[in-house]
Amino acid sequence: MSSINRNGLPISLNLGASTRRRFILRSAAAAAALPVLRSGLIDVASAAGEAVTFACYGGSYNDNITKAFLEGFEKKTGIKVALGADASLALAKLQAEVNPAQWDIVELTGPEYEVAVKQDLLLPLDTGLVDASKVPAEYKGSHGIKYALFLFVMAWDQRVIPDETAPKSWADFWDTAKYPGKRSLSANIGDGSALEAALLADGVAIDKLYPLDVDRAFKSLERLGKANIIWHNTNQEPIQQLTSGEVALATSFNGRVIPATRSGAKIGFTPEYGGVSGDYLGVVKTSGNAKNAFKLIDHVISDDQADAEYIKLTTYTSVNTEALKLVPPELADTLPTSPKLAGKVFIKDDAWWAANLEKTLLQFKQWQLA
Amino acid sequence: MSADELRVPRTPRPPLQQSGAGRFPLDRLLLLLPIAVLYGLLMLVPLSFIMKTSLARGFGHYREVLETPVLWRVVENTVVISTLTTVISLILAYVYAAALWRSHSVFRIFLFGLIMLPFWTGVLVKNFAWAALLQDNGVIIGLLRAIGIEAQISLLHNRFAVILGMVHYVLPYAVFPIYSAMVAIDWRLVRAAQSLGASSRRAIVAVVVPLSLPGVLAAALLTFIISTGFFITPVLLGGPRDMMVANLVDFYANDIVDFSNAAALAMLVVAAISILVIAYQRLPKEGQYGAL
Repeated sequence: MSSINRNGLPISLNLGASTRRRFILRSAAAAAALPVLRSGLIDVASAAGEAVTFACYGGSYNDNITKAFLEGFEKKTGIKVALGADASLALAKLQAEVNPAQWDIVELTGPEYEVAVKQDLLLPLDTGLVDASKVPAEYKGSHGIKYALFLFVMAWDQRVIPDETAPKSWADFWDTAKYPGKRSLSANIGDGSALEAALLADGVAIDKLYPLDVDRAFKSLERLGKANIIWHNTNQEPIQQLTSGEVALATSFNGRVIPATRSGAKIGFTPEYGGVSGDYLGVVKTSGNAKNAFKLIDHVISDDQADAEYIKLTTYTSVNTEALKLVPPELADTLPTSPKLAGKVFIKDDAWWAANLEKTLLQFKQWQLA
Repeated sequence: MSADELRVPRTPRPPLQQSGAGRFPLDRLLLLLPIAVLYGLLMLVPLSFIMKTSLARGFGHYREVLETPVLWRVVENTVVISTLTTVISLILAYVYAAALWRSHSVFRIFLFGLIMLPFWTGVLVKNFAWAALLQDNGVIIGLLRAIGIEAQISLLHNRFAVILGMVHYVLPYAVFPIYSAMVAIDWRLVRAAQSLGASSRRAIVAVVVPLSLPGVLAAALLTFIISTGFFITPVLLGGPRDMMVANLVDFYANDIVDFSNAAALAMLVVAAISILVIAYQRLPKEGQYGAL
């Protein structure tokens, strides 16, 4: 049968010279068309994508940010926001080297913000778009605004340690005879306040913490016992460790504990001897979406309803002074900035930490490895 | 009689075929082009970026990294943990590869499946599973408590957990080179040794062990290189004293936010491992038919 060609292959499979030439021509044409296709796709994406990308901390905090701010913002302006996790100074620095940046807004702790401004990683605040009239002056920076204040607290597993016998001070927290077992401390000494807690446990007066005596803090941690400490790296970990029963005592933030208890976790905490710190929202220098990013920051610090909702959901304080008036008084008393807590909490010193973060981190790592 | 005297004499190999158009190996170069492009784009280009970042201040960053006291503790940790992991996994892998080699049909398939399972599971899943098993109120201590043993030891966040997690990860990589070396061994050599008067144990030791040695060396190198690069297992299963060199690179990059120091440290690690690989290539390795 002549369906077999002279090479023994079926004729349909016979790629003669003409079909090979046709194949090469077609693939060359397709390759030439690719750039056109690609730019077409990108145009479509950027027209619909006025989306702002916001790097935050993840976990329940991201859920609360979405509920309090992002849903309302999208309804008000139609701008979508993509929320991410793992915000840090390193992320901001990486973004500043990429143009356009993948993350428009990065949440930075106080000391991280100071270093970021020094290293020129952020855009100056666009005062035309951001209405900061309701924010007290001490929270306004040149390149960002401190949008919320957190409380660093000691937390315990209520199933193992009932509230009546819970630790009332860091010295109690340090007492391994009274509370045997391990403690989970935040390894992020710039964001959490493990060193300050160690100093308070050692007997330093709450208004005489800064400048930190780092060596004394290490000795105090050694008194607790290196074998008794589990260091956690993310803010959701202590909640996970307390609920799984891995530890009975941990350091955490009030805005992490309360959402957990609302979902049924049995975690107790005390605001006494807690640390007040705040985070800045800054727009990265190479952001391709700076206008919309500043609009989001404006919404976060000036929309009274959204801020009151944020306070109710997280029990962190929004710096919007008008929003505080919309919050029920029982809740207002537990906030980090409540006058009831004045004198019983310490304010984390951003300036000292900005100047000493690198040195202290290296000392801390060295101490950990010894 | 030793295995040397049983060695099959070398047959002369046919000369290499030359390509028709002269002696310039153009077709061989063209065949290498795809892998060169892939390897170049995905590996060499990023490596050159890292090298550029590390040289931001000339060799200043290298000096800074080498002068940090933390570095030597971390290097010591890395070497000790990697060596322990390699030794333990080699011992386990040798036994497993031998069992795999001498098993038949269904049991062999079962053994294959068993060793592939950690291979196919993601490293994060494996580490979280170990954390759940080893933690203070976890499965293992709970089981011990159930049978009456009040274990006061801590199984997690220490070197034991790190090595356990690493051996679990690295075991398939150790088994396969040893297994492929064993499969190439002619079992008739063992029979021949037995026919010459060796006990079965002596025959196996005299024949199998030397001939599987190249596989063991390859497995050792592979597991050591993989072990030195571990990052996530020391973080999830280890304590702060188990910091390895990859964790130090992460510390420089994310905590200190000094990308150049991180890059310098990364390049130093690449250089150290390259020396190891070169040393391995120089080792004499003998297979069943002569030097490899």
